[in-house]
Amino acid sequence: MQLFLKDIVPAAQNNIDTRFIILDKAKSSAANGKNYCIALAADETAAVHIQLWGDECDAFEAGDIVKLTNGIFSYVRNSGLILRAGKRGKMEKMGEFTVAFVETPNISEIQWIPDPENPKRYIQSGVVSAYSRIFPPLP
Amino acid sequence: MENHFVTSKLIRVSLHEVENQLELSLRQAFENLQPKLRPPFSLELPDPQEYLELNKAIVYGVLCEPNSSKTHIKHLHALVTDGYAFFTSLLIGIVVELYVKLVDSAKIQLIWVTKEMIDVSSVGIEDLVVSLLRRIGISLFLEKWECLLDDSPLVLTSALYSFLRLLADHYRVLGVVKLENVKRLEIKFCVKMFREQLHLSLKIGRDLILLLQDLSHVSEFREIWNDLVSNHCSEIYQLKTSSRYFLLRITPEMETQLRFLLGNVKLGSHKRHQIWFLKKFLLGPEKETLLIDIVRFVCCVIHPTNEIIRSEIMPRWAIIGWLLELCRQNHHIERSVMLALFYDWLFFDERIDNIMNVEPAALLMVWSIPQYPHITHSLLEFLLHLVETYDITRRDTIVRGLTSAFREIERKGVIRSLDIFLANPALAPDLKKKLANLLSCHQEKTVHVNLNQVSVLSKQTVLSSEANLKDCSTKIVDTPDQKLDNSVENPAKNHKVELFKEFIRPSR
Repeated sequence: MQLFLKDIVPAAQNNIDTRFIILDKAKSSAANGKNYCIALAADETAAVHIQLWGDECDAFEAGDIVKLTNGIFSYVRNSGLILRAGKRGKMEKMGEFTVAFVETPNISEIQWIPDPENPKRYIQSGVVSAYSRIFPPLP
Repeated sequence: MENHFVTSKLIRVSLHEVENQLELSLRQAFENLQPKLRPPFSLELPDPQEYLELNKAIVYGVLCEPNSSKTHIKHLHALVTDGYAFFTSLLIGIVVELYVKLVDSAKIQLIWVTKEMIDVSSVGIEDLVVSLLRRIGISLFLEKWECLLDDSPLVLTSALYSFLRLLADHYRVLGVVKLENVKRLEIKFCVKMFREQLHLSLKIGRDLILLLQDLSHVSEFREIWNDLVSNHCSEIYQLKTSSRYFLLRITPEMETQLRFLLGNVKLGSHKRHQIWFLKKFLLGPEKETLLIDIVRFVCCVIHPTNEIIRSEIMPRWAIIGWLLELCRQNHHIERSVMLALFYDWLFFDERIDNIMNVEPAALLMVWSIPQYPHITHSLLEFLLHLVETYDITRRDTIVRGLTSAFREIERKGVIRSLDIFLANPALAPDLKKKLANLLSCHQEKTVHVNLNQVSVLSKQTVLSSEANLKDCSTKIVDTPDQKLDNSVENPAKNHKVELFKEFIRPSR
């Protein structure tokens, strides 16, 4: 089932199916001999930071609508909470332009804590920033 | 997960791209039915489902196997039972959805198979040819002149509109050999239309004059221009140009994005979409002339419902304000864009013209007054200048049209009162005086005007339940003397005024 971004919760497994539009993209960096870059994505309900890996960096541009299958939303060192395809997932371009989106809340800028009733689940405990601190909204 | 990457013979596919469903269904039909696509063909009639699949397979075969295309077409002729309707609809789908991705050989085959469909007068051929007209050049129309004239004369008027518009652009670019050949063919086609099918050419309506104006300096058109101006101008002015013509210079991709922008994106959340649209379609040499086509398209084709008008969704006047801002550096383009914006005002006749065609300019002038009176000033000044200079011999017609447009926007409640212009301290006195004279309001008005007097089309505006799809327009239906109740204010109005400041700043 396809999730809205607002309904995504951090987890250690590749089980997220969603679609979003890429709003902005940072410059590529290299790690382990492969390119990666952070981008800002959003849908009608929320925004999120995503990680593009390898040839994904060149394949996607701002304005592209992307379908993510079997993605993972978890903490990545030096980057915070990131939505990405990981090894088991895939990202595919499915169009351009035609998604209305919001830039707040940004679910990568939310503090999550383990759910006291179910430690395997995470719940929101506070908002770090309403908008992305990496990609501030356009003036 | 590995991306399952299929190389297509039909389209160029990049690595991280969702498989295109239309291409997939054609390819699968072709692969599944391959044995049946080679002679000898079965004499049995296929069942309805197999018939559809065979059509898909043949489309794929024709486009991807140029060497076997004649065999595939013979096969189609042998089995067709629906006047080629389904086959033609598949071709239209390819033109609209896949054309930009088609491999070059498939594009060539697409033209070839279209000619075949013209020869058999397939059901839906007009739509196919017009769809292609939004994508390709001239050769098809000269080659198939006779067939099109007999079966699809309206396609020829669409081609005339398209090529006159293109010629104006092509004359701005000098010395490109390839373009010179295209220009020669375009001129040949257009002159042939005027000489041999004048009655058909005139069906374009008043925008024909607008198109020819830009070409009156071209020797081949001088005589045609003089003839039209002296003998046919008045009747042409009275004929509203159908909205189908305004789609011709707008690609399907642009149309999709503009419709989305004006139907789904809220003012205030529009900036990224605005930048993407600009980067994709308006950056680069000779792209500025597209602004003229976009303005005509926005005014005459995109007619939002009352629900959208009352919402916070991006209004048409705001988009046009932005487009005008984009061409500020180029005075020739700016004047052409303003003329495109006001053209229907000049000949407005409430009996045949749609109020929605003049609404964007009216609201742009109104909403600019609080913070951007210079925009209102330059638009009004341009409009009043047109009265004196556009067509001096028919000045009375233009005065009547303009007066009629102003009265109608007041009567229909697009704006609450013309006093917003006539008595506004923000506007220059000489401008107000000229406008008052034009409207025959000779006494100076002293009513204090504030923005709350302005209203968008209200809830009481009754929209025609059967929008004329051919004309893509939402007509406003009311009894001739009924004044619309403007008691319903737009909740998004003040928000829109504030956001306009940000909106019109060009994203260069």
